[in-house]
Formats: sequence, C-alpha cells, structure tokens
Amino acid sequence: MDTLNHLLGGFVVALKPINLFVALLGSFIGTIVGLLPGLGPINGVAILLPICFALKLPPETALILLAAVYIGCEYGGRISSILLNIPGDAGALMTALDGYPMAKQGKAGVALSISAWSSFVGSVVATVGMVLFAPLLANWALAFGPAEYFMLMVFAISCLAGMMGDRPVKTIFACLIGLAMATVGIDAGTGVYRFTFGSINISDGIPFIAVVIGLFSVSEILLMLEQSHAGQEVIKATGRKMFTLKEMAYTWWGTVRASLIGFVVGVLPGAGATVASAVSYMVEKNLTDTEGTFGKGDIRGVAAPEAANNASAGGSFVPMLTLGIPGSSTTAVMMGALTLYNITPGPMLFTQQPDIVWGLIASMFIGNVILLVMNIPMVGIFARMLYVPTWILAPVILAISIVGVWSVHATGFDLILVTALGVFGYALRKLGFPMAPLILGFVLGDMMEQNLRRALALSDGNVSILFHSWISIVLWICSLAVLATPFLMRRFKGRQIPTAPMGG
Amino acid sequence: MSDRAFSVVALIACAVFAWVGWKIEAPFSYEPIGPKAYPLLLLGLMAVCAAWLLIKPDARADWPEDKHLRFKVVALLGVVFAWALLFQPAGFIVSTILASIAIGWLFDATWKGNVIAAIVSGVGLYLFFDKLLDVNLPLGTLWGF
Repeated sequence: MDTLNHLLGGFVVALKPINLFVALLGSFIGTIVGLLPGLGPINGVAILLPICFALKLPPETALILLAAVYIGCEYGGRISSILLNIPGDAGALMTALDGYPMAKQGKAGVALSISAWSSFVGSVVATVGMVLFAPLLANWALAFGPAEYFMLMVFAISCLAGMMGDRPVKTIFACLIGLAMATVGIDAGTGVYRFTFGSINISDGIPFIAVVIGLFSVSEILLMLEQSHAGQEVIKATGRKMFTLKEMAYTWWGTVRASLIGFVVGVLPGAGATVASAVSYMVEKNLTDTEGTFGKGDIRGVAAPEAANNASAGGSFVPMLTLGIPGSSTTAVMMGALTLYNITPGPMLFTQQPDIVWGLIASMFIGNVILLVMNIPMVGIFARMLYVPTWILAPVILAISIVGVWSVHATGFDLILVTALGVFGYALRKLGFPMAPLILGFVLGDMMEQNLRRALALSDGNVSILFHSWISIVLWICSLAVLATPFLMRRFKGRQIPTAPMGG
Repeated sequence: MSDRAFSVVALIACAVFAWVGWKIEAPFSYEPIGPKAYPLLLLGLMAVCAAWLLIKPDARADWPEDKHLRFKVVALLGVVFAWALLFQPAGFIVSTILASIAIGWLFDATWKGNVIAAIVSGVGLYLFFDKLLDVNLPLGTLWGF
C-alpha cells in the first residue's frame, strides 16, 4: 500500500509539464543516439549531462531526461541492427542476427514493430520489478555500516572483473585508474590537497563532466573515424508495418522470459545489456529453435534480445537507486550526475528524496508509452537519420560536447583537460581496457575511500572489521567467487564468453 | 608490445605519484588512516597490475593498420586540441566553423556541403545555446567581445 502511495506521488512529479516535456525530448534524442552506429546510451547521457547543469534543471528533471535517453537508446539500437546489419548500440548486437535477415526478406516493418513491442514489454517488466524490489532492497541496505558498504563496492567491482571475461587484469587495472583519479583534489577527511600539483583547476578533483565527455565523447569520435560504415546499404522498410496478433502470441513467452532474464542480469553490477541480450537469445535458441530457423530471420530471435536489453537497462537502475552502486556505466554516469547535485544515491534516497526516486520510476512508465508510440508509427522518420553522413554528425557532437564542458566552469583549462582525457581514453580502448570499470571506479572512488576510512576509524585501525558481520563475510566470498570465475572458465573450457565492451 | 610500453609508462607514473603521495601530510587527523594510505594502496595495486601486464602482455593492440587512417586520427586530435585552445580567444562561432570544416574534411565530406554544414552548425548552435537556452558562450576576446 505504501509503495502504491509513493508511486502515485511519483506520477504527480512525472506529470508536471516540464517533466513530461523532458521525457518526450529524452525519448526522442535517445532513440536517435541509439540508432546511430557507434553511439550508445553512455555517449548520449554523457553529452546531455552538462547541458542539464547549464540549464539548471532540478535534479529529478535532469534524472528523468537522462533516464529517458538511456531507455530511448535501447529502443533505437534495433533500428540500425535491422535495417543496416550494424548494431546501433552494443545491446542491439543480437537483434541483427535475425532482424537483418527478416529485413532482407522484405519484413523489415514487422521486425521493427515487433521489436518495439518487445522492447516495451521488457522495459515495463523491469520498471514493475523496480517498484516491487527497490524499496525492499533499500530497506535492507539501511542496516549497512561503512564496512559493509566498502565490501559491497568491492563486490560490484569484482563482478565487473568477473563478468568482463577475457581480460580480468585489464578490468581491475581500469578500475584502479578510476579509483586513483577520484583521489585527486581536496581530501574530505582532512582537507589536505592531494595530487593537485598546485593547480586550482583540479583542487576540487578532476571535474566529473570533463572525465565523462573526454572518455565517452571525444574518444568515441576518434573511434568513429576508424570505423566508417560508408557503402553500407540501408534497407527500405516496405510492406506490412505492424505485426499481427498471431505473431505477438507466437513471440509472447519468449519475450516474457527474456524480460525476466534481462532484469536479473541488469540488476547485477557489471553485466549490462550486451550480456542480457546474448543470454536471452541463447536461451530462446536452445528452448524453441526446433527447425533451425534462428539466425535466418526468425521473429522470436528479434523479440527476445530486444526485450532483454531493455529490461536490463531498467534493472540497472535498481542497485544505483537503492544501494548507490551503479549496475552499468550509464547508470554510473547518472549517479555521478546526482552527486553533482549533492544528492547521494543509496538507501536513504527512498526516505529522504522520494520525489526523485518515485518521480523517476513513474516517468519511466510514461516514457515507455511515449517510446512505443514513437517507435512504431514514427519509425520511418528515425530510419531516415541513418542517411545523415558522419561528416555532419561528428563535428556537431563534438561542438555540443565542448559547449557542455564550457558551461560548467567556463575555463579553457577544462577544454584542454577534456582533449587530454579523450586521448587517454582512446589509447586505453585501443589497448583493450574496458571503460565501464574506469568510470565506475571514478564515481565510486570517493565513497569507497570514505567508507573504508570510517570503518577503520570505528575499529581504531583494526582491519578485522572488514570481516566482522556476516554480510561482509558473504560479500567477501561472493567477490572472490566472481573474481575466480574467468580464470576457472578458462581452465575448464576453451569457450569464449560474450564480453561487454561498454557494459551498456 | 603496446601492452609492455603501457606497463612501463604506468610503472613510472605509479612511482612518481607514490613519491608525491608519500609527502602528503595532514596537519591534524582524527582517524587512524589519514589521507595518504589509501592512494598509496591503490598505486601499489596498480603497480602489481602493470607488472603483470609487463610479464604477460595480451595480444597486440588494434591500432589502425592503415597509415592514412593513423594520420587522420592524429590530425583529428590536433583539430580538437586547437579547438580547445581557440575556443575562448576566437569565440564559439569562429572556432566551431573552422574546426567543423577540418573535421568534416577528415570524415571525407564534400567541399560545398562541408562548408555549408559548418557555418550552419556554428551559427545555429550558438543561437540555440546562447540565445535560446541561456548557456553563455564566448564570442571571442580576439574580436574584442
């Protein structure tokens, strides 16, 4: 009953004209960013985040905008998967396997509409999951002390290293770089300046927005330059636009299964949309593919991964809102955004700032309806975006990014810093370092250190406090177990696990 | 090879930062740990990872094979850097138009379309952000604004 009241309160917030407007705008921008190959939710959120600040949007409105962009991207990614055979974002990789063959058979319209529908189902399942589980998790997490919090963050980072499969050392390394970058600036405990080298520009720490834009916008454009998709033919969506009721019934259980898988995978820190859609595709293939039609344009192979990647996006909000531990790099950036508003996500958020949490959840219901409408009848308009050449897009994206960075401090130093971070990010990516752990480390760094120091202050420097409660012990065991997984997997099987380059 | 080079650079960076970090002293502290232990711990762990990569490097990094493409990536970096430097003195409109033309050219734009697109985006984005959204953008100190 309590939850229902909160949810109603949330709808009051979400239905405010400004919030409705940003949900609409975010859905629109998100779908476009999602369908552009090379740009995913993290880039969309990174580019819009500074604009939110420059416009002095209130925190709940900013969060609604960013969340709408995130979900919109998960919808949009499928469009280029189906029409171009190039996933618009990492989560839509599996959709191309059956979506593109369907389009070649002249059923592009059906593939687009059924995948929009399954995206909708996936997202709604995940949002309902949030409503049901988030308050429970938040309540439970209220009992956490600093030692448990520290261990929870260690667990989240271990999950990343374990899930990202083939390069655990580089994943941990990337995370440590992020954590170390977070120590720059004034130390909250003692007021001492650390690693600032006397510069006032970084006395408050390396600006979060510069890090996000540098790593996810500037370095992305550098990568775009390398992967030009020129010459790829866009398939025209002809024929029937809408799926039939029969097709809907045919894909229904697969969609539901994939939504549930996606939600669970999304809640786990580390694994994102890419893993969720890969897992659900494999499950559907094993369960239902009796005639070997998967991969040749089976409609079930389009519906399932789309439901899963949308559900995982929704699921990744749960740990961010309830524990203050983001489940994906995109939610890590959103959490950083909240921190810039002096709001610390975590269990207290549900009691202290119910407007923000429930407003966001309610707006996700509304946003999904908007996205469904945008993505079925209006899909042709979005598909036209695929014809916009990169030479127009790249400079515009960079210009908006630079405006964003400039709007925060209006210093030339930040612009140079962004360029340097862009080069750094580009080099790290080329060397095979994943970016998700780095940004997660950077966002969590300060909290991690403060909790560790607080825990050790309570025990007067005795490290045994980290093994004191059963929660910490369980988290230790889980962390070690997930860390050991890739090494064990490699030993037992020569098989490759699907890796998430961006973590969704 | 790239991994090894990176590890060496990382090890040197760790050493430099550890040396800087070692000198951090808090004038007073109410807690047993203080401000320098945690960064030093991180640097230590990073050094371990770097050493690991030095001994067991991964497969080769995928730098662009093509010489032409490599030149383009470096050129793009140069343009972004110049953009950052020129942003304040030359102002948003001028720096954006110049940078957009250069970037469009790197992305194989047609001449005419590129110049038109650059002017439209330079002026358009200025009007959009500065006038419509109230984000203050520089017009350029060089021109006396």
